[in-house]
Amino acid sequence: MPVDLDDSSTVSGDASVSSTGNQNPPPQSAVKKKRNLPGMPDPDSEVIALSPKTLMTTNRFVCEICSKGFQRDQNLQLHRRGHNLPWKLRQRSSKEVRKKVYVCPVSGCVHHDPSRALGDLTGIKKHFCRKHGEKKYKCEKCSKSYAVQSDWKAHSKICGSKEYRCDCGTLFSRRDSFITHRAFCDVLAEESAKNHTQSKKLYPETVSESQQKSPAAVESPPPSPSPPPVAPSVSVSVESETEPEPANIASSLVLPIQDSSDDPENNTLEVIMEEAPGTIGLNGSNDHSNNSKSVYAALFASSSSSSSPSLYAASSTPSPSLFPPSSSMEPISLCLSTTGPSLFGATIQDPPPPHFLTPLHPPPQPAISATALLQKAAQMGSTGSGGSLLRGLGIVSTTSSPMELSSHEAGFGLGLGLPCSSGSGLKELMMGNSSVFDPKQTTLDFLGLGRAVGNGGNNTGGGLSALFGGGGGMDVFGSGELSDKDTGRRSS
Amino acid sequence: MVVMFQEDNGTSSVASSPLQVFSTMSLTRPTLLPSPSSSPFHSLKDLKPEERGLYLIHLLLTCANHVASGSLQNANAALEQLSLLSSPGGDTMQRVAAYFTEALANRILKSWPGLYKALNATQTRTSNVSEEVHVRRLFFDMFPILKVSYLLTNRAILEAMEGEKMVHVIDLDASEPAQWLALIQAFNSRPEGPPHLRITGVHHQKEVLDQMAHRLIEEAEKLDIPFQFNPVVSSLECLNVEQLRVKTGEALAVSSVLQLHNFLASDVTNNNGHSLSGDSASSLPLSNSRKIIDSFLNAIWGLSPKIMVVTEQDSDHNGSTVMERLLESLYTYAALFDCLETKVPRTSQDRMKVEKMLFGEEIKNIIACEGSERRERHEKLEKWSQRIDLAGFGNVPLSYYSMLQARRLLQGYGFDGYRIKEESGCAVICWQDRPLYSVSAWRCKK
Repeated sequence: MPVDLDDSSTVSGDASVSSTGNQNPPPQSAVKKKRNLPGMPDPDSEVIALSPKTLMTTNRFVCEICSKGFQRDQNLQLHRRGHNLPWKLRQRSSKEVRKKVYVCPVSGCVHHDPSRALGDLTGIKKHFCRKHGEKKYKCEKCSKSYAVQSDWKAHSKICGSKEYRCDCGTLFSRRDSFITHRAFCDVLAEESAKNHTQSKKLYPETVSESQQKSPAAVESPPPSPSPPPVAPSVSVSVESETEPEPANIASSLVLPIQDSSDDPENNTLEVIMEEAPGTIGLNGSNDHSNNSKSVYAALFASSSSSSSPSLYAASSTPSPSLFPPSSSMEPISLCLSTTGPSLFGATIQDPPPPHFLTPLHPPPQPAISATALLQKAAQMGSTGSGGSLLRGLGIVSTTSSPMELSSHEAGFGLGLGLPCSSGSGLKELMMGNSSVFDPKQTTLDFLGLGRAVGNGGNNTGGGLSALFGGGGGMDVFGSGELSDKDTGRRSS
Repeated sequence: MVVMFQEDNGTSSVASSPLQVFSTMSLTRPTLLPSPSSSPFHSLKDLKPEERGLYLIHLLLTCANHVASGSLQNANAALEQLSLLSSPGGDTMQRVAAYFTEALANRILKSWPGLYKALNATQTRTSNVSEEVHVRRLFFDMFPILKVSYLLTNRAILEAMEGEKMVHVIDLDASEPAQWLALIQAFNSRPEGPPHLRITGVHHQKEVLDQMAHRLIEEAEKLDIPFQFNPVVSSLECLNVEQLRVKTGEALAVSSVLQLHNFLASDVTNNNGHSLSGDSASSLPLSNSRKIIDSFLNAIWGLSPKIMVVTEQDSDHNGSTVMERLLESLYTYAALFDCLETKVPRTSQDRMKVEKMLFGEEIKNIIACEGSERRERHEKLEKWSQRIDLAGFGNVPLSYYSMLQARRLLQGYGFDGYRIKEESGCAVICWQDRPLYSVSAWRCKK
C-alpha cells in the first residue's frame, strides 16, 4: 500500500509530469481546509497527473477474498477486518501534507496545463469522464446522455418537471433560462405588435409556392425594395435551418389583390394584419416547434411533386402526402394593401408577375358574392330604396289580399330580430316590397311568421283541410302527426 | 305546428283532392305574376347577375313566406320563377338559390307524406360509401375548417396530455384518418417520447372504420409507437358508453367534430306535447324530459375525460320557424358557397358534388324537415358553451400557440377571406365577418 509519486513537481515550476498508476488516499484533516479561489491553484501545491485508467476506475481498492471494490483504502481496511485478515488503517501522516492538484492527462485539454489544474481528485475524475469519456447514462424521458452517473441522476430528477412556459410554448425547467428566452421572445412579440398597430403597413406574407416559377417571382420583389425589415429576415434565416429553399418559405411576398375591389366585404387586409404578429412570433421561436410542426406539417404534408405548401411539407419529415390538396386547390395570391406605406416600399405595388393570377381564379367578370348580395338586399330593405329596382323587374308581390294579423305577432316579429342586423333588413325587404306592391296590405308584420309559430295546438280541422280550401294560412308542413286520414278532408 | 288561418284569396277554390289543387293552381294562375309569354319574363333572362341575385333573394323570401303561410299557389309561382333563374351551375347566388328552392319544394311536398314517399321510393337512399367518403374528403380539402379543427384539437390534446404515459382518444365520428395521423406523429416527437396510445373510433359504417384502422396502424408501426385502434360500429345516438371501454388509469380525450348538433333532434316535442323522440315508446311530458343531448354529455362526463374538444357549426339554424331558419342559413350557406367560388372553378365537378351532396342536403334538412327528422340543428357557440358547462365541464382556453398555428395555417394555405376569432377561449372560424364554425376545449369539472 505504500504510495509512490513519480515526477511530481510544483505548479509554478517545470510541468513535466508523467502518468503514474499510483493511488492517492485523500488526507483526512481535522483542520478546515483552506480553499483556493477557483481557477487559481495554490502555487506551492503538488501537481499530480494520473493515468486515464486511474481516473476512470471506480473502485481501486479490491478485497482479495471476495473481490468487493472500494473507493478508499480506509474502507477496504475496515472490510478486511470482517475477513479476519490483517488490516491497517493509515493515520494521517504527521508531517505537513503538501497540497495536491490534479491535471488531466489528455494533452490538448484545458486542464492539462498545471496552471489550470483542479484541486480535487473527485473533480478531476468527473471532468475526465465528462469530457473524455463515453456517455453511458441516458435519460429515459428526453434524449440527453451523460457520462457521470451523478450528472445523470441530477438531470432525471428535473427532467419533465417543467416549471416555466413561455407564451410561445417553450418549456423551461430553469428560471434563468426562461427569463432570458422571455426577453428575447417578448421583444419579437412586441415588435410584431408594433408593426401590427402601425398604420396599414403591408405585412410580409408567407405564401406557399407551388410552381417552379414562384421562386423567380419571389426573388424579384425582395431585392428591389429597401432591405427587408428585421422581421422577415428573422423568419427567413430561422426557416433556412430546416428548409433547403429559404427563399421559398417565409419570404415575405406581397402579391396583387384579387378582384375583390367591388366586394365591399372584402377585408382580407385586416385578415393579414391580424395574422401578422402571429407569424413573426412563431418564426422567432422555431426551436421548440418540432412536435408542433409535426402536428401541423403532418396535416399538410404533401408529396414533393404536388403543388402544395412546401413550407410545411418540406420542413417536416418527407412522409408521403397524407393530405394532398386537390390540384384545384392551389393557393392563390394574397391581398395587397393599396393604402398606406407598404412595408417594402412602394415598388411592390407594381403589377405582379402575371402568373400569380393563377388560372384557378374564377372568371374575370366582377362576380359579386352571394354574401354581398344578401347584404345589399338587406340594406335595400331597411332603407326601402329597393322598391324601384324590383318594380322594374316586374315583380308583383306575393298575395293580393291582406293577411289577417293577430295582436301578439307584432311582438313575435320583433323577437325575431336576428343578431346580424342585416337579417332584419332582409325581413324588411320582404315587408317593404309587399308594402310597395300591395297597397291593400295593412300592417307590416313579418308575414306568416307569427301565425306559423305562435298558435301551436290549434290542430282543428286537420292540417290539410285549409290547404284544399285554399284559405288555410297554416304552415304547409303541418304537424308531423298528420296521418292519411287528414288528406281527404275538405275545407269546411 | 298547425295554425288555422283564414285567408281571403280570390283565386282559391274549394278542392276535393290534392291533385285538383294542383290543377287549379295551374289553371288559375294568378295574373299578378307574369306569364311565360309576356315580356317581363324574357327580360328576366337578361338580368344582370347582380339584379338577378337580388331578385332571387326576394323570390326565396317570398316563397318561404308563402310556404309558411300556406298559400300554395303563390308559393308555386315563386318556385317556378326560382327554378327558372337559379341553377346549380351558375354563379354563387344562383347555386344557393337552387338548393334552397329544392328545399322549399321538398317542404311543401312533405305535407303530403304519401306523395313524398312515393316520389322518393325509387331513389337510392343509401348512397354508396365511397361517394360519401369522397365528398367528405373534398370538404376536407376545399375548406380549411376541418384542418383547423384537427389542428386545434390535436394541440389541445397534446397540451392536456403532457406527461401522460397512457392516452386514450375517443373520436365520435371517425371518418378522417388525417386527424389522428397528425396526432400520432406529434406524440412521436414530443420530448418525453410517445405515450401508449389508444384510439377508439365511432362510426356507423364499418368500411370507414376499417380503412381508418389500416391507415393508423400502418403509421404507428412505421414510427414504432405502442398503438391500438378500437373500432365501434354504432351510430352516435345508439352509442353506449360502455362500448368505449375506458379503462382506469388512462388519460382520456374526446373529440367531437360536427356531431353534437344531431342530438338536439332526438327529443324535440311539438307544441301538442307529444314527444317525437327517437324511441317513441316514451312520451315524457315536456317538463320532465331529459334532453338527449344532456344525457349524452353527462355520459361523457361520467368517463372523466381530461380534455374534450368540440367542433360545431356556429350559426343559429335551429329556429322554430322556417322563416327564421331560412334567413340565417341563407347567410351561412351564401358564405360557404362564396368560399368555394373563390377557390374552385365553376366547372368543377367536385365543387358541385360538395355543394349538392353536402350543403344541399344540409339545407334540405334545415328547411324541409321537422321534428326528429331535422338533424342539422346548428346552434351558436354561446348556447353550446352553456350546455356543455351545465353538463359539468369547464372551458379550457385554447392556447396562444394553437391559435397562432391555426392562423398561420390559414395564411400559408392561401385561405384568405377566412379569419379566426377568439371568443372566450374558443376559436371561431369566420368567412369575412360571418362566423361559421367554432372549436372549443373542455375539461371535466369534478
